[in-house]
Amino acid sequence: MGYGEITASKALALHFLCGVGLAAGYGIARLGCDLSLVADPARTLRLLLVVEGPVIIGIYGWVRRDREHCSYSKAVARGLLGLPIGALLNAFGAIVLGAPVGLKYWLSTIYWSSLMSLFTFVPAVCVFGTSRTDWQRILAYSKPKEGVDCVISLPAQGAVIGAWLGAWPMPLDWERPWQEWPICVTYGAIAGYSVGMFASAVFVPVLGRKVHVKDD
Amino acid sequence: MSSSSLTCGKLASWTIAAVLLQILGLSLFVIGFFPVKPTLPGFSGPESYRAPTCDPVLDAEERDLPSEKLRTLYKELSKVPPSYGRLVLMVIDGLPAEFVLGRGDKPPTKAMMEAMPYTQSLLSSGKARGYYAKAAPPTVTMPRLKAMVSGAIGGFLDVAFNFNTQVLLDDNLLDQFKRIGWELVMHGDETWIKLFPRIFTRQDGVSSFYVKDTVEVDFNVSRHLDVELAAEDWNLLILHYLGLDHVGHIGGRHSTLMPAKLKEMDDVIKMIHMGSTVHHQNPDASTLLVVVSDHGMTNGGNHGGSSYEETDSLALFIGSGVESLEFSMNAHKAVHQVDIAPTLALLFGVPIPKNNIGVLLRGMFDTLTDEQRLRTLQLNSWQLLRLLQAHLPNFLCGDVTCISGEDNLQTDQSISSMKENLCYLYSRAISAHNAWLLHQISGLTSNDADDLGYAVNSYYDFLGNASEWLSHRATDKPINLLLSGIVIMLISCVLLLNTVFKLFKEVYITQGKYCSQPKEISQVWQVDEAFVLIGLVIHALSLGASSMVEEEQYTWHFLTSTLYLLFLLTTIRSLFKTAASDLMKMKKPEENLTLHLAVSNDESSYTTNNRSLPWTKLQKNHQIYPVLVVLIFGRILRGWHQGGINWVHLPDISKLLMQAGSFSIKALQIFSLLNFMLVGSFAFSLVRSTTHFVHIVRTSYFMSGCLVLLHIINSQTHNIGPTDSSATSVAQLFYICAGSAVLLTVLVSPWIYPVNHEASSNIGKFNLSSHAKDTSSIAESSTSSLTKEMISFYFQWGIGHCTYLIGTTCMVFWCLLQLLLQQPVNAIPLLVIFLQETASIIYFSSYGSLHKQWIEVVAMLFLGMAGHFGLGNSNSLATIDVAGAFIGISSHSTVLSGILMFIITHASPLLSFLSMLIYISLKDMNGLFPSNLRWSSILQLLIGFPCLLPLVLNSVVLVAFTITLLLMRNHLFVWSVFSPKYLYLCAATLCVYIGVLIIAATVVYTGVVLFVRTKNFNSKLQNFG
Repeated sequence: MGYGEITASKALALHFLCGVGLAAGYGIARLGCDLSLVADPARTLRLLLVVEGPVIIGIYGWVRRDREHCSYSKAVARGLLGLPIGALLNAFGAIVLGAPVGLKYWLSTIYWSSLMSLFTFVPAVCVFGTSRTDWQRILAYSKPKEGVDCVISLPAQGAVIGAWLGAWPMPLDWERPWQEWPICVTYGAIAGYSVGMFASAVFVPVLGRKVHVKDD
Repeated sequence: MSSSSLTCGKLASWTIAAVLLQILGLSLFVIGFFPVKPTLPGFSGPESYRAPTCDPVLDAEERDLPSEKLRTLYKELSKVPPSYGRLVLMVIDGLPAEFVLGRGDKPPTKAMMEAMPYTQSLLSSGKARGYYAKAAPPTVTMPRLKAMVSGAIGGFLDVAFNFNTQVLLDDNLLDQFKRIGWELVMHGDETWIKLFPRIFTRQDGVSSFYVKDTVEVDFNVSRHLDVELAAEDWNLLILHYLGLDHVGHIGGRHSTLMPAKLKEMDDVIKMIHMGSTVHHQNPDASTLLVVVSDHGMTNGGNHGGSSYEETDSLALFIGSGVESLEFSMNAHKAVHQVDIAPTLALLFGVPIPKNNIGVLLRGMFDTLTDEQRLRTLQLNSWQLLRLLQAHLPNFLCGDVTCISGEDNLQTDQSISSMKENLCYLYSRAISAHNAWLLHQISGLTSNDADDLGYAVNSYYDFLGNASEWLSHRATDKPINLLLSGIVIMLISCVLLLNTVFKLFKEVYITQGKYCSQPKEISQVWQVDEAFVLIGLVIHALSLGASSMVEEEQYTWHFLTSTLYLLFLLTTIRSLFKTAASDLMKMKKPEENLTLHLAVSNDESSYTTNNRSLPWTKLQKNHQIYPVLVVLIFGRILRGWHQGGINWVHLPDISKLLMQAGSFSIKALQIFSLLNFMLVGSFAFSLVRSTTHFVHIVRTSYFMSGCLVLLHIINSQTHNIGPTDSSATSVAQLFYICAGSAVLLTVLVSPWIYPVNHEASSNIGKFNLSSHAKDTSSIAESSTSSLTKEMISFYFQWGIGHCTYLIGTTCMVFWCLLQLLLQQPVNAIPLLVIFLQETASIIYFSSYGSLHKQWIEVVAMLFLGMAGHFGLGNSNSLATIDVAGAFIGISSHSTVLSGILMFIITHASPLLSFLSMLIYISLKDMNGLFPSNLRWSSILQLLIGFPCLLPLVLNSVVLVAFTITLLLMRNHLFVWSVFSPKYLYLCAATLCVYIGVLIIAATVVYTGVVLFVRTKNFNSKLQNFG
């Protein structure tokens, strides 16, 4: 097995914890603070961010690459640093795709893009750091070849595609409150992220077996 | 090379066949779906008081009598004296009848009752008569006013094709009043002035542009009231209040401003009613106050559709004759808005307008004698009969065999049974009328009331049926015609798809053998390709939802931005890759260079090489900037015009600029003009051969630019005079200057391209360089004559050069033309679209493009569509810029202004086609061109995708939307949303044809000329050798 390879059970545990974090965040918002995404998107997103952020940074730091040169705390620091950078990238994408830029939406956009950053950019930063070859691989190959790639890229791609699809109902004239930015996009992103995690949890064992066969 | 299964000629003929089929299918469908309703020309005159005959010649009669004479003539002929002398028509824009009359049996809400105390007291005491006057969609002001005064509901195409003249030319009440010498006065919405430009003695138009203003707009009307009510000179006073509509647009139906506004309206009604009753007691000059609303509003305060809330408009008659015996709260009736026109016509003693489909309002003629009442119904029936005869030739002529009894009253589906039914009802009404008359004369008064009631009811039966049939005339569609149209379009679409697949195979599989594509491009399936296919499917499907049609600008912006984000991703990927493999590449000798590369590497020695543009040397890591430019500019463009229907009122940049005033708009216009000049002259300076000719073109470009500058400055300072002669002549000068420059370039440039000089002076260098590189294919070439490869090579070179020159000229002149024609606020969006196209060309033509050619063509088309909506266009006919269509036209010409309107509306898609010319010329065809191709194959490779893809994309959308339209033909929004979109789609199809024609004609023309010239030169050279 190559360095940093991830086992199926480890991947499953990782995704399970991420999922639980997300669900816990939503549960706290719903029950604890009486917040809902529709009524108050900015504060709900902030709560989700606060709950899910430590979970993701902590867990992905745990499966970091290059363990000899990189301590756990360094991986966590990388994740914390990556959060605003990823948020910037995601906000750029969202605004270019038509997200509103009015003052009314600034807070929501910031929190939403931070959450997207948690789904997409932060895991990769935690695991890979600044390793150029790893980044190239994760960007260039649409087909993941290793377990870690799977664990990082599938949920991320799921979140992005889900958010993209989630934007489609926005122009419809149904006059529902959830059609506002960024509510349905967030729903889409979370749904896509969950699907991605599920796919990853399925794929990692398959990939692992393949690698195993090859090794033999 | 010639083994290709798809020759150029075959490709062209298949394409042309498919296009012809598409045109056929489209016209069949359009004819079937948008029937043109026959209308009667001219104005009703004295003949309307005589029974209709079958000979149309008899009906036409001299009517040029002086107004006084005409009035008395009408009085004599009609046998019904006018009930009133003066009319006050008070239009309250957007007032739902529910506010005044309640809904159904329920009275209006308490708040509404309290807001209009005077009106409610009039209603409850029986001094006023209220009707629910159901409005026909589209529920917007202008068509509704037309319906009220003419009694006609225009067919869809009537509405669509009437933008170049908003003047109401059909027969209508106001013109009838004018004919009998009335003085007309109008205060309020300037729509009236647009409809009737020269009819009013006094007028004060207010604009409905500032929707936020709910106070001033009504004050500007009411301030005239005191004077006008005291004045004796007018016969018709129109007051059109917009404030209530504005209140609705801002706060919706239940806005907190609504009661206050209703109170204000109530006060106006009170004032008019008091004033008119005090001043005029004699019946000749008695005044009728008619309070109407043009349409209702939804809960959100919008209108335009056909829901109950929107069509629920009011007709309230207040006057001395209206007082009825029956208690009027029960007399509210659901009628049609068009019924107002015939009622007013007969109340005031003028003929009913010719195309009226309305029916006299029941209860409005109760004060007349029985004979007169029947007479009014008879007049209405005669008028409708005349209109029916226009729809059904020979209706009620000769054969009187239609008295077939009541049995087929219900089974009236087909036209013939409908005809019989109407015929029967008409005859019954006439005979009942005659029977009553007979009874009157003979003095038998036993069952007088019964006879009268029977006659009245028979008339109303006929009138109601005829009116309903006429108003639904537009909705029956020959399904066979529609289906055959769709099938033909489908066949054409399949043909086009088949052709494009063949071409695809040709280019990427057959050619793949001998061309050296980068590995990632020849990879079978790329993300952007998958996305484009999915995106196109999503777009086609989204057209099935009415709000996605209304808000199509979001779809296009979303798809385009996503595509360019994917490009960004690809670029970043390749950056990582290059950085990783840089070291490896440095060591590798450049082995597999094709002929092209060998020469273009040596480009420092080529002074006449137009392909040595700065960006072909663009560093790989700078490739990212054009994509970023496209993305960021795309977002600016999205924010410029909010667009669409549902959120059009939200703030955007164009509204901000409008508020900022004309100076800043003017500054931006000049700014973008300067940018166009700079970019244009830079683009011209890149052409390094035929410099003298380019100087001429550039000079005329500068001249045109100055003319546009002059126009901008002029039009801003003299804002009032639209028909300013100097402005017109400036625009005309520009047309001449730009047109001749473009025509000259297109025709001349392939002839003066220095093929002889170029070729002979380059043979040496060419061979030198090739020997130095020691490429195998060059080694075969002899120094004495040009080889086939070299001919092909120079041929391609020449095409590239000429197409670049032509494309640049067309594109920059097109932008100048648009700067002249478009609304001033669109100057920056134009610049932005232009820069987006330029950036895309730079990105695609820079060294080593990362995408397949067809993706690049699709991306340019996407940009064109996103830009189309970025310029403020939408799928509603309201956004068509009518004002621009008259710039530089001295006399009224429908054709010319139609062309200008098309140019303005489709500015951006056509720009993307023109920029495709530059794209073709700059595209580094390294990988695609084996040097030993025949010239026709080269042409095929050059223009195959740029010509076929637009046709295919358009065809797919057209077929998908046609099927949608057929399925939606009974949808609520079919006339307000889907049909306008279909018209836009037809125009877009035309636009694609034009664009493809321009590309194909230019490249083929250039190719043929150059081919002939190189061949001649070659044979000369060989003779010489």
